[in-house]
Formats: sequence, C-alpha cells, structure tokens
Amino acid sequence: MNRSEILKTVNEVFIDILDDESLVLTEETSANDVEDWDSLNHIQIVVAVEKQFKIRFTSQEILSWKTVGEMISSISSKTL
Amino acid sequence: MLFTSLPFVCFFVIFFLLYWYIFSGNLKLQNSLILTGSYVFYAWWDWRFLFLLIGSSALNYILGIYIDKSKNEKQKSLLLWIGLIQGLGCLLFFKYFNFFIKSFISAFGVFNIKADIYTLNIILPLGISFYTFRTISYLLDIKSGKIKPATDWVVFFSYVAFFPGLLSGPIDRPKTLIPQLEKKRVFDYSQASDGMRQILWGLFKKIVIADNCALFNAEIFDHYKTLPASSLLFGAFLFTIQVYADFSGYSDMAIGLANLLGFKITRNFNYPFFAQNIADFWRRWHISLTSWLTDYVFMPLSAYFRDYGKSGLILAILINFTLIGAWHGANWTFVFFGFLNGCFYIPLVLRGTLNKKKKAGSQSALKAFVNMAGMFILLMFTFLIFRADSLSQAFDYYGKLFSPSLFSGFVITEKLNTAVTLLCIAIMLLTEWLQRDKQHALQIDAIKIFPVRALIYFGLIFFILSFSATKNADFIYFKF
Repeated sequence: MNRSEILKTVNEVFIDILDDESLVLTEETSANDVEDWDSLNHIQIVVAVEKQFKIRFTSQEILSWKTVGEMISSISSKTL
Repeated sequence: MLFTSLPFVCFFVIFFLLYWYIFSGNLKLQNSLILTGSYVFYAWWDWRFLFLLIGSSALNYILGIYIDKSKNEKQKSLLLWIGLIQGLGCLLFFKYFNFFIKSFISAFGVFNIKADIYTLNIILPLGISFYTFRTISYLLDIKSGKIKPATDWVVFFSYVAFFPGLLSGPIDRPKTLIPQLEKKRVFDYSQASDGMRQILWGLFKKIVIADNCALFNAEIFDHYKTLPASSLLFGAFLFTIQVYADFSGYSDMAIGLANLLGFKITRNFNYPFFAQNIADFWRRWHISLTSWLTDYVFMPLSAYFRDYGKSGLILAILINFTLIGAWHGANWTFVFFGFLNGCFYIPLVLRGTLNKKKKAGSQSALKAFVNMAGMFILLMFTFLIFRADSLSQAFDYYGKLFSPSLFSGFVITEKLNTAVTLLCIAIMLLTEWLQRDKQHALQIDAIKIFPVRALIYFGLIFFILSFSATKNADFIYFKF
C-alpha cells in the first residue's frame, strides 16, 4: 500500500468516526484544522485505524503525531 | 500586589516606561527587566518563597540542557524523573502534606486506632501550582523532542516567573512563551490598545461583579442554616457567576498586561456559560489547565486504556477530572467536584455523542438555549461543592436547598447594590454573547463611530468607580 492509498483509507476512517462526509484530509492536516478532531475522538480514531490496518501502535507513536502525514508514516512502517 | 491595587498600578507604570522607553530595542535588557520585575512582584507577596522559585527554575534549566544533550534514553528518563520528583514533590509537600496526614488520621479513627501524627504549619507558596506545571511541561517537551532548551537562562527564568501569569496563570506552554521571549519585541499600538480594552473588561468583571457577588454570597453561605431555600438558590447562582467573573476577569487582565508588553499568551476562557454540554464546557473553562492535563495525563492514559473500549475512555476521563479537582486544593470538596464532573461525561460516552456532535446551525436556537440553561443549572449545583468548606457542609446545603421554602421570596438586605450587580451580570452575559466569536468582549472595532466606543469605555469606568464592592476580595484562584 502506498502513502496515497493509506491516506484514502485513513480519510474514510475519519469520516466514519467524526461523522463528517465532507472531510478531506491531506498529509499536512493537523488536529487544529479539523474542528471535531479533539482529544476525546483522537483515541477512537486510533483504535479504528489499528483495526482497519490490523496493526498496533506504541503509546509514544500515538502521542508524537502532529499531522496526518506522521500517522501515515507510522502506518506505512508497519504495513510494509 | 493585586492587579487591582494602587501599588501594582505604580509598579506597572514604572515597568512599562522602562521597558518601552529606556530598554526598548535591547532584548537582553528587556528580558532582564521582565525577570527582575517578576521577582519584585513575587517578593511583594512573600519574599521567602522567592528562593524556591529561583531554585526550581535553576534546577529545571540545567536538567533541560542535559536531557537535550544526552544520547542515552535511560539517562534522559532519569534526568526527567529528577525534575518531576522535585516539582511534584514540592507541590505535594506544600499543598497536600497536611491533607494526607489528616485523611490518614481519620482513616485510622474508623478502626478506633489513635494515630499520633502531627500536622505541620505549612504556608502555601503562591503560584506554586502554576509555575510547577510550566517547568514540568518544559522538561516533558524537551524529552519528547517537541522543543529545544531555552537559549539562555534569563529567558527560561522569565518564562517560569513571567509576572502577568505567575500567580494564577494562564499556564503558558514553553512553545508559546519561550520563542516570544527569544524574539525582539516592537511596540505595537493596536496590540497594546487591545490589551488595555481587555484589562478594562477584566476589571469590570472582577471589581464590580465578582467582588459584589462575593459579599452577597458570603452573607448567604454564612447563614444558610436559617435562610429560606430560595435565598440558598440565589447564593448558588451568585457564586457560579462570581467564580467565573473572578477567574476570567483575572485572566483577562493577565492577557491584557502581556499584550501591553508585546506578548500573546494563552487564552484561558472561551465564554464557558454558552457551552452546550459538559465536554463543551471544559473545552471553554480554564483552558490552559485542561489542555495541559489533556496532553500530559489524559492522552497517555486513554492510549494506555484503549483496548478496553468505552470503559477505558471513561476510566481515563474519571482519573483526569479527579486530578483537575485535586489540583485546586487539598480538600475532599475539590476531589469530589472533579470526580463528579468526570461522571457527567459518562452519558456522552455511552450514547456515543462525543463523536457525533451536532453541527453548528443544525439545531434550533431554542434547543441551543435550553442546553445552555441546563448546563448553567448543573454548574450552579456543582460549584456549590467547590464553594463549601467540607463535603458535609455541601450536602447540608443541598438538604436545605430542596425544601418547600424554595418557592418563597428571598431576603435581600442591600437592595440597590443587589439590583446593580444583577444589572451588571446581565450586561456581562449579553455583551459576551454578542461578542462570542471574539477573543474578548471588548473587541469592538466593528463599531466605527468613535463616540459610541468611548461611551462604552466610560460607561464601564463609571460602573467600576461607582459600584466597586466595599471590600476588595482576593482572587479565588490565588490560593490554588
């Protein structure tokens, strides 16, 4: 899976969890750009992403992401 | 030196003139002035604890450098732990030592064992909860690679002791304040005048509303056993308004003062009375504390508990909110206040409405208003616990509150002052509602006619001069 395919799947997860059909993510998108992406929803997004890609992040990874791109890097390093 | 006192006004005028006229253009001198001024400001309260503030700054400054330099993860963690133990150790000792001892003694009392332990006569160093959180986030952020250590010690010491937020916050993060201290500052007229307006609004909220509410509700809380329930309800209403006007008024003044010195510090309130539910409220109330705990406590906990689904999320929320409560002070009332607020999240988590938020505009104005009113009533009853001296007093107050006399007329001793205070509360709420998209209520640049703006400023000054409370109360959050 290349980065743009991962981004597409991650985007679908966000749409489902945040209940926002119009959401379009880029690698540069951060929590500040998406109104409903807050600390309470973040962990639900993480769990859904883990389930979708059948991977497991470390707590440190989860806490270090500042953008969607960084999340995608973590995913791609685990799905190689 | 309260922000509202004459000594502070004199202090700030001298400081301002030195800062912008004598030391202008020289960053090192300006920062040295900020540090000296902050220490004078702090020593004015109690010079003895200045040594704790300086010692704590020195240790954390050195630890920060070595955490960054070290290539060994174990060594980094060890250095971080030294900082955490120092910061949290001082906080626990000064703030909670007697509380633990007393709770320990009463726990033994249950088993009829007399514990022979003495409590110590400990004075709480002012602002310790605020500056300790600043030093802790500094070390944590260096350890996680989010920031680099401050370039020189004056910058770091000024970050810890920056006087506008030293005693009651906002709790600025290193990445917000340190880069501003490292950058040359130029006087910006529009920023300074915006700061003046925010200070005026803060003064109005503190001196006219909070201090008057404090007088009236003290009267009610002191005599709650003999007053009708309707008066007790009025007391709860006044306290809820007081705690907001007091703390957000202080924050407005702190942010305004920082603006006058060319700094943009963290926003602390975003019109919390207009919140639609409890999650919305805590996103708007004491933002610098809640976001601090969210980043350093809630997020790691929720990541750790994520395999347990909703129960894990609820557990992380309950721990986080109990800590928010306990942060306020060593009393079971605060612990319970926090825990209760955490419990209010449970229905939202179970219903799944946290992530299925209704988009703004999709609900009717009436529904939004009903939600706000409901939230306010919930806050009134919750802040009662915050106000009470003990949990038993809080429950006693509740018991008296829910009685038939709830529907009787309430007793008011000072009719004129009460009426003026209620009018000012209405002015505050209405203005903040109209200005809810702005950073603060007096950002009224949209009013293009100058005389109208001037009339608003003079109207507020008139209220401040004419209806300030007879007793100038300390800021509630100073004791935290």
